[in-house]
Amino acid sequence: MSKQLLAALAAVALSGCAAIQIPPERLERTQASVRGAEELGASGVPAAKLHLQYAKDQTEVAKKLADEGDERAILVMARAEADAELALVLAREQSTHREAMEAAEDLKTLKARELP
Amino acid sequence: MNARKTMIAGFTLAGLMGCAAVAPAQLVEARESYVKSNDGLAAQLTPTELYDAKKALDKANKSFEESGDTSEVRDYAYIAHRKIELADAKARTELDRQKIAAAVKQGVTVRDMQVKATTDALKSTRDQLKDERTQSAATTQELQRDSQAKSAELAKTTAQLEEEKKARLSAEEKLAGAMKDLATIAAVKEEARGVVITLSGQVLFASGKHALLNTAQTRLDQVADALKQQDPNKKIVVEGHTDSMGSDAVNMPLSVNRANSVRDYLVSRGVDQSRISSVGLGSSRPLVDNKSAENRANNRRVEIVIGNSAVSAR
Repeated sequence: MSKQLLAALAAVALSGCAAIQIPPERLERTQASVRGAEELGASGVPAAKLHLQYAKDQTEVAKKLADEGDERAILVMARAEADAELALVLAREQSTHREAMEAAEDLKTLKARELP
Repeated sequence: MNARKTMIAGFTLAGLMGCAAVAPAQLVEARESYVKSNDGLAAQLTPTELYDAKKALDKANKSFEESGDTSEVRDYAYIAHRKIELADAKARTELDRQKIAAAVKQGVTVRDMQVKATTDALKSTRDQLKDERTQSAATTQELQRDSQAKSAELAKTTAQLEEEKKARLSAEEKLAGAMKDLATIAAVKEEARGVVITLSGQVLFASGKHALLNTAQTRLDQVADALKQQDPNKKIVVEGHTDSMGSDAVNMPLSVNRANSVRDYLVSRGVDQSRISSVGLGSSRPLVDNKSAENRANNRRVEIVIGNSAVSAR
């Protein structure tokens, strides 16, 4: 067997048929953020909805890369986590903003009430 | 030799290109985004999250400095950018929360003021009602006292009127009685000048005399009684008349004296002298002609006129 062939075989062996493990806590955090964003109505907030989708898509890509033994799976999962957190925060921002508008309106109505 | 030089040049070029590599778009955007956030709300309200984002950006920059534009650098830049966006979104949320808290606090203050204003208004209304009730009670009492006073006055006036009426009726009865009695001793006639009581001269005086006969006094007492019952506002005139026998020089003074005698007697019997006067008219006003003795007797008379004028006129 030629040296080149041996080197190639070694590389294949080393590069691994073994799958990469995505850190479970990262996966859990990402999934929790996705659930949280959905419960807060992220699907009704365009920016939140977009990042939610990114999070889901990148989670799938990360899993696939991990199965293939591609180390890039870790960073892709990190991207998914970042998107999921952002989707959650954007959904919460919309909800809080609505509350702030209502509070302002209530105060306006209260002030406008005629006093004896 | 030439191939080797080329390879070295290529490697050198490659090396040089690596050191002066252009940052990928994701990294450039992340850097710009961070600069903007660091000048904005996130720096004040979410410094922790912004710091996390800075760490992620530093990691991306370091990776780029070490390795140039790699997928790893782009991933780090992507993550950093998301973290910067997260810091900004959290800052906006925090601002809204502060606005909510301020609105709630203000609302409490406004509500307290409104409750106080309503309470004050109610208290004022209650006090006003109390005053009105007190005033109303006072007015009612005053009205009642007034009404009672007026009722008492009315009762007093009614009683007075009743008394006056009784007195008037009594006086009228007495007068009627007196006049009735008078009619038995004298002629009483209603004329335009008033009530005329005619007494015959021969029952009062001796012929040619002016002194009253004793028998005349009884009649004149009755006349006096009747006159005293009359309305005190009415004037009384005693007229002396003679017949036409004899001269005026005799008849006139005789008639005057006779009128005076009767007047004086009536005053002595209680008739108010301020309302009674006397006048002698001689033979100037005969009742009938003087042709017969009977007629002359009738003409010789005293007339007592109860009327309003001082001197009666026929």
